[in-house]
Amino acid sequence: MKPLDTPSPAAVARVHALSERRLSAEEARAALAVPLGEAEEQETRSLIRWFRRRYPTPAARLAYARRAYRRWASARPITRGSDSDAR
Amino acid sequence: MLVEGSPFEEAAFFRAVAASGARALLIGRRALVALGIPVLTVDYDFWLHIDDIARFNTAIEPMGLYPTHAPEEARARGRYVAENDERVDVLVARSVPTVDGIHVAFDELWSRRRSLEVAAGVVLAVPALPDLILTKRFGGRPKDFEDIRLLEALRREEGQ
Repeated sequence: MKPLDTPSPAAVARVHALSERRLSAEEARAALAVPLGEAEEQETRSLIRWFRRRYPTPAARLAYARRAYRRWASARPITRGSDSDAR
Repeated sequence: MLVEGSPFEEAAFFRAVAASGARALLIGRRALVALGIPVLTVDYDFWLHIDDIARFNTAIEPMGLYPTHAPEEARARGRYVAENDERVDVLVARSVPTVDGIHVAFDELWSRRRSLEVAAGVVLAVPALPDLILTKRFGGRPKDFEDIRLLEALRREEGQ
């Protein structure tokens, strides 16, 4: 299998800028007006039910989030600049 | 940034915040996780009562979390950061407008807050779900609106 190419700093910067940009009031209203589709709704609620069953307390969920972030941070090919993608 | 092997103890951090008496609401993705939505997050976001900055800072400084701005300066700026290996983003304002122009008052959110036990005897305050959704409209970034859709699904899951 071909190893994943590391994105260029310019590509990372572009994605970062897109994900961090502030929507206009009109864009925000438009985004709020789009509900989840039926399939997405069911999938999301199923994921929430699974997560709450697997980690029944807020403390367990928070601990999971710390472990998940550590895994994600250690596996990704790029470093600073994309941290806020996780925020 | 969270670092493998960091001595940071999350339960101790929340215990210190709770014991300080500071009116602090956990917002942002960490609040989504605590409520039951599995999303990736790196930092801690709090909305703090504007009069409780010194109290909050005093509580977290023993963990090496030092504020970037003194309380007076933080009040003027409306936000600051406390960090070491961890990063705590702190919003300090009596009210904050959403990207679509709704003014959200801290005192109102605080009066409707939801309490979560995050360790034995340690209670963390988060906004009620509709209020947490409003706070997600402060930043107005595309991913905030994705989080809002997740929160709306959670709200329906809880029958609200």
